[in-house]
Amino acid sequence: MSPVRRNKRNKRNKRTQSPSSYINRIQAHKRVARASLKQLLKDPVSCLVTTFVIAASLLLPALLFGLNSNLSSILSGFQESAQVTLYLKDEVSNISGKRVSNDLLTHPDISTSVYISPEQALDEFASSTGLESLLQELSSNPLPGAVVITAADASPASVDNLVQQLHTIPEVALVQVDSRWLQRLAAISQLIRLIGQLLSAVVITALFLVIGNTIKLAIENRKEEIRVIKLVGGSDMFAARPFLYTGLLYGLAGGILAVLLQHVVLYAFNSGFEQLMQLYGSEFTLQGFGLSNSIIIIVAGSAISWIAAFVTSLRQIRNINL
Amino acid sequence: MIKFDNISKRYADGQEALSNISFEVSKGELAFITGHSGAGKSTLLKLILAMESPSNGQLIANGVNLSRISRSQIAEHRRQIGTVFQDHQLLHDRTVFDNVALPLEISGYQAKEAGRRVRAALDKVGLLKKEKSFPGSLSGGEQQRVGIARAVVNRPSIILADEPTGNLDPALSTEVMKVFEQFKSVGVCLLVASHDATLIQRLNYRTLVLDNGKLVADQAPRSPS
Repeated sequence: MSPVRRNKRNKRNKRTQSPSSYINRIQAHKRVARASLKQLLKDPVSCLVTTFVIAASLLLPALLFGLNSNLSSILSGFQESAQVTLYLKDEVSNISGKRVSNDLLTHPDISTSVYISPEQALDEFASSTGLESLLQELSSNPLPGAVVITAADASPASVDNLVQQLHTIPEVALVQVDSRWLQRLAAISQLIRLIGQLLSAVVITALFLVIGNTIKLAIENRKEEIRVIKLVGGSDMFAARPFLYTGLLYGLAGGILAVLLQHVVLYAFNSGFEQLMQLYGSEFTLQGFGLSNSIIIIVAGSAISWIAAFVTSLRQIRNINL
Repeated sequence: MIKFDNISKRYADGQEALSNISFEVSKGELAFITGHSGAGKSTLLKLILAMESPSNGQLIANGVNLSRISRSQIAEHRRQIGTVFQDHQLLHDRTVFDNVALPLEISGYQAKEAGRRVRAALDKVGLLKKEKSFPGSLSGGEQQRVGIARAVVNRPSIILADEPTGNLDPALSTEVMKVFEQFKSVGVCLLVASHDATLIQRLNYRTLVLDNGKLVADQAPRSPS
């Protein structure tokens, strides 16, 4: 019989011999996970320090993304107030002004449209400024008629698009977007998101290094054990298993700590923020980052740590000479 | 079961540990390897365990061609071999029980079945009462026997032993050899490196004599039994 065929037969025999069922494997994994946890708790100080470093690295991008999601919700709160004012030419009569306003109502991108006659405008101006007597002295009304519309979609791009179209109406003299600042806020939000993404890349690298180094050290400390495991037939993967759990546990603990810290930061910020928003007459409060956000942080932290542990431990274990 | 075909092993520093070794040990056979220290006994066992690879020649053990074994096959190959190491290679932060259970844990045995087998193996070497002890608290001879229990617990098809009776008194040596003989009788192939001349004399098995990396004698048992 050829060596290869005999080898195959051995493998088959092995499979039927060793009762390595699904439940057994779960049992074995449980045991390894418990052992890894025990091993970690043997040195609580360095374990805590590492967890803190992981949590801190996760916290930074988490806060940025959280800030950004708050900004987005502020932005969406102002969606409906994306107002555009069209100042009409002086010679346009009230009737044609109204017609323009009514025509605009049929435009799909416009949700409301109101015509303001020069007389109305003057009245409003007079009452809001308290200059009635002075204005009565004027021989003619200096104000033009205007149409105030609300864009259906407040995103900067579509508002810009709408403004372009409004410019082409012959009766319109000037188009003024009342919500320019919204666009600036949106731009800032985008910038924050970009910074968050860059920071995430940095954080992933940092986590890789932190976990990689921790695992490397742990393997160095247990080199003899790994040697013995390899000598009696444990695969590299088997020898790596405890270290994978170490990585996973670190990521899990770091992620949970990051979520807790995030809530502390949020709480500290919120009172100041509420005051600020009250000055602007808004009831807006910073949103908690929500359950899904917390889960993302914990899962991402665990996954990154596990992958880092996987890469490091397999490379380290492979290099242990017998 | 184990076939050396013109095997040589040269180390990177040019030292030739084994030169042109050829022999075969079959299923159910027990053979001693003897020779002064540095004669190449340990290197020979390391080759079978795929801890080293031969420089020349073809080595087949348990149906696996070890000259061309891949990384991923090595672990699987070692699981079929029970090895008694000269320096025991025990894990000092695990109990005797856990040490012996290690090969079963690797093979994925259920805790109950593993426990049964571990106790049977420990019973064979007379250490059943020490299952909860740690290797550090045991004598050299007891550690040696823990290593033997671990080597046989997975019912391997090949058993390699490097000076398995080195730390044992004659009575215990005889006990250990009796355990080996039991495995021989159920078809296991055993290769025992030893320089215990009196033991080898008394037991009367095939003996391979190494000298400076060369196989100088392959003595059959004196009188076939």
